[in-house]
Amino acid sequence: MAASSIDWAAVRAAASVRLAMPRTPLRGRAGERLGSGTGASLEFEDYRPYTPGDDLRHVDWAAYARSEMLSVRLYREEVAPRLDLVIDLSRSMAVTDEKLRAHGELSGLLACACTSTVADTRVITTSAAQPHPLQIPEDIERVFTCDAKLSGLEEGHLPFRRRSVRIVVSDFLFPHDADALISRLARESAWLAIIQLTLAEEAEPSPEGGRRLVDVEGHGELDVVIDDALIRDYRERFSRLRLGLSRAARRVGAPFAYVTAGTPVRDVARALAAAGVVEAA
Amino acid sequence: MIFATPLGLLALLAIPGIVAIHLFRRRFPVRPVAGLFLWNILRKSPEGGGKITRLPITTSLLLECLAALALALILAGARISPAGISQHLVVLLDDSASMAASNANGESTRDRAVRRVLTEIERLPSGARVTLIQSGERPSILAGPAALALEARTALAAWRPEAQHHSMALGIRLARELAGQTGKVMVVSDSASAARGESQFENGLWVSVGQAVANVGITAAQRTAAIDDTRGAVSLTVSSNSTERARRRLTISAGEKEVLARDLDVPPGTSSLTVPLPTGLQSVRVGLATDALQRDDAVMLAEPHPQMVAVENHLPDGRGRTALIKALSVLSGVRAAESGHLAFIDAAELDRPHPTDVWRAGFGRPPAAWVAPGDPKDLIGPFVLEKRHPLLLGMTLDGVVWSGAVPLVADAVRPVVSSGDQMLIGLPAGPTRTGTAMLFNLDLARTNLIRSPDWPILISNLVEMRRQSLPGPERWNYRSGEWVRVRLDRDPKGKLHYRCGAVERALPSGRQLEFIAPSPGGLLQILEDDQVLFEIGVNFLDEIETDLANQSMADAGALADVSGMRAENGASSDPLFWVLLAVGGLAMMLNWCLFTTGRNVRLFRRPSWS
Repeated sequence: MAASSIDWAAVRAAASVRLAMPRTPLRGRAGERLGSGTGASLEFEDYRPYTPGDDLRHVDWAAYARSEMLSVRLYREEVAPRLDLVIDLSRSMAVTDEKLRAHGELSGLLACACTSTVADTRVITTSAAQPHPLQIPEDIERVFTCDAKLSGLEEGHLPFRRRSVRIVVSDFLFPHDADALISRLARESAWLAIIQLTLAEEAEPSPEGGRRLVDVEGHGELDVVIDDALIRDYRERFSRLRLGLSRAARRVGAPFAYVTAGTPVRDVARALAAAGVVEAA
Repeated sequence: MIFATPLGLLALLAIPGIVAIHLFRRRFPVRPVAGLFLWNILRKSPEGGGKITRLPITTSLLLECLAALALALILAGARISPAGISQHLVVLLDDSASMAASNANGESTRDRAVRRVLTEIERLPSGARVTLIQSGERPSILAGPAALALEARTALAAWRPEAQHHSMALGIRLARELAGQTGKVMVVSDSASAARGESQFENGLWVSVGQAVANVGITAAQRTAAIDDTRGAVSLTVSSNSTERARRRLTISAGEKEVLARDLDVPPGTSSLTVPLPTGLQSVRVGLATDALQRDDAVMLAEPHPQMVAVENHLPDGRGRTALIKALSVLSGVRAAESGHLAFIDAAELDRPHPTDVWRAGFGRPPAAWVAPGDPKDLIGPFVLEKRHPLLLGMTLDGVVWSGAVPLVADAVRPVVSSGDQMLIGLPAGPTRTGTAMLFNLDLARTNLIRSPDWPILISNLVEMRRQSLPGPERWNYRSGEWVRVRLDRDPKGKLHYRCGAVERALPSGRQLEFIAPSPGGLLQILEDDQVLFEIGVNFLDEIETDLANQSMADAGALADVSGMRAENGASSDPLFWVLLAVGGLAMMLNWCLFTTGRNVRLFRRPSWS
């Protein structure tokens, strides 16, 4: 995909959001978020007896005056959280220009949300490639080429970091077991957000008559007559797929957002906020 | 490129067929989808048929066309290299019975001939071709033309010479035709070319593998049965090419029963003997003790059933009638009758109605309608005789005064004997005549013919002609190769055929049967469906083949030095065959892999939750 296909102006106009971080302590480098260990923040956590080598600046002299025992004040650690932004770059995400454009806008929006947060952000696309660091939102264009024959989510082990915050963007239109997939994505994560992006006609197809359906990822072709009966069956299966993802996400405490291609970016941001993926900056 | 079987190119029609299939097969508008597995629930087909759209040049189409092209070229025998050059040996095998003669060691001339031919075949280079011809009155091809050596060996192993004596000329001509300019001709016989009557043989190798051995054989045999007697006889002619008297045991048997056994002292050369035989024996086997050539040691003789000719004598009293009675009295197989097969009548009655199965011989003045103006003449010759007519066999009419010859109108009678423009003996002609009649334009009361030696001959010939026309076989015992003639007394109602040993042939349906006595001979049965009509004997009886004194062993001439013939050694000998086979097979395999790969994706990539 050409980098210019992302309408950055529209994205930035709607990108007054940041990731809705979890309330639980995080792990990461020193930053602005409270960590799970002791650190150098201003938030008091506890006392402990002084031991040689402790920083004398942390000795509570008032307490020494009261008790004649040297005590050291402990403060909460402040960390920059680890963010793993997982983007599906398979061909199915570019099955139409509309879907590709929507995918670019959604990814740009999330990139903006990630970079507005002081965090160690990486973009993961596949298990084979090294994750790409995301310093500025435009960095995402370097990896945004939807030509893979297989979604990275179908691969066994993505290079996640422990206790990282993970945001996954895909259409999930590949054969999968939702519980197993979401559990795998959530394993050893600090937080997980699932965002499904599909075309409107992928969710609600209309009768078209005889068509040769060709899988864009090369998984065969099928001659069918798209009529009401077939659409009914299809819609039922698509609903089961989306519901399965939603339930699986809920089980692991991950917010799930469903985005339809063609939705304006601002409305997408609202939908993500409503799902708890992002929050107003 | 050369095509061995150009008709195979018709298989190229498969290519338009493949294109048509691809052109007309049903194709829907293509719609790319992201999750095909969600659609893979129901397969639905439109009710309408296919429609013509632009031909899609797909991999499958190309592979199928490629496979069809390759297979069509294979069928057409396509080859890039011309046919190979192979040596071609044409062997003419003498099929006469004397080739089966064995020497004292039990080795036959045929064995030596086979061994010699095999030696020549082994000398030929690999891939050489051999044509084996069997000589005979009608030469035939045993192996080939231009057969492989293996086929020639098989044909040689099955070859058994047993034919009558015959000329080698036809076989040599056939061998030269088959050899053409590129083959070598070899003749294998038991005697030298000159002895076989081919002294002019050249441009080829004549191999004699014979060996002179003593042999005694039956060269002629006849079985007679007296009509008025109760005894018959077997007359044999025995030939011996030995220089000394040979002792042989003669046996005559009827079926399993031995009728007679006698030791013969056979002198060198040809000798005859007659053995009396009781009547009532259907067919007898006459055999001599086995010697060098078994083929001439036995004959099968059928019992003859001679035909009795009934004769009516209606000649007026006088010297003519008396002379006829005297002539008939010395003939066997003749009896007087009121209603017979042959009637001697006054010639004036020849134009009257009569039964068609009665032959009539009219003597005297012809009917008035046949007579031309003029007085009767007495003629002393010269007489013009139609020599080939059976009535005149042995007649000369020397010294005969032909009296009372009446002038006849033209075309009334077809002449058999005439003098000048005067017809003397003739066959009445014209559409009104029925049956067989003969006019003897003769006054028996005045002619001296009845006192000449020609008179009994004439009457005998006439009786024998009538006898020959009676139903039944012309003879009862024949040589192989002779014409057998049988007349039936009615139209056949069933399928006619004959059986002679292992030989069985169908015969054309009709009253007159003619066929060649088959070889090797034996008792021949003529059947109508399963009913036996006649049994006759067919025997070898070949004086020349019995004589084994002139056999020799020598080579004459040499195999011609020719360039060899172009011969096809099969499609697999050409590299193009294997290339086409590989291309066709690979194309089909690839096409199949492509097909099954697409199918497998749809079959096995189903979601686990579906």
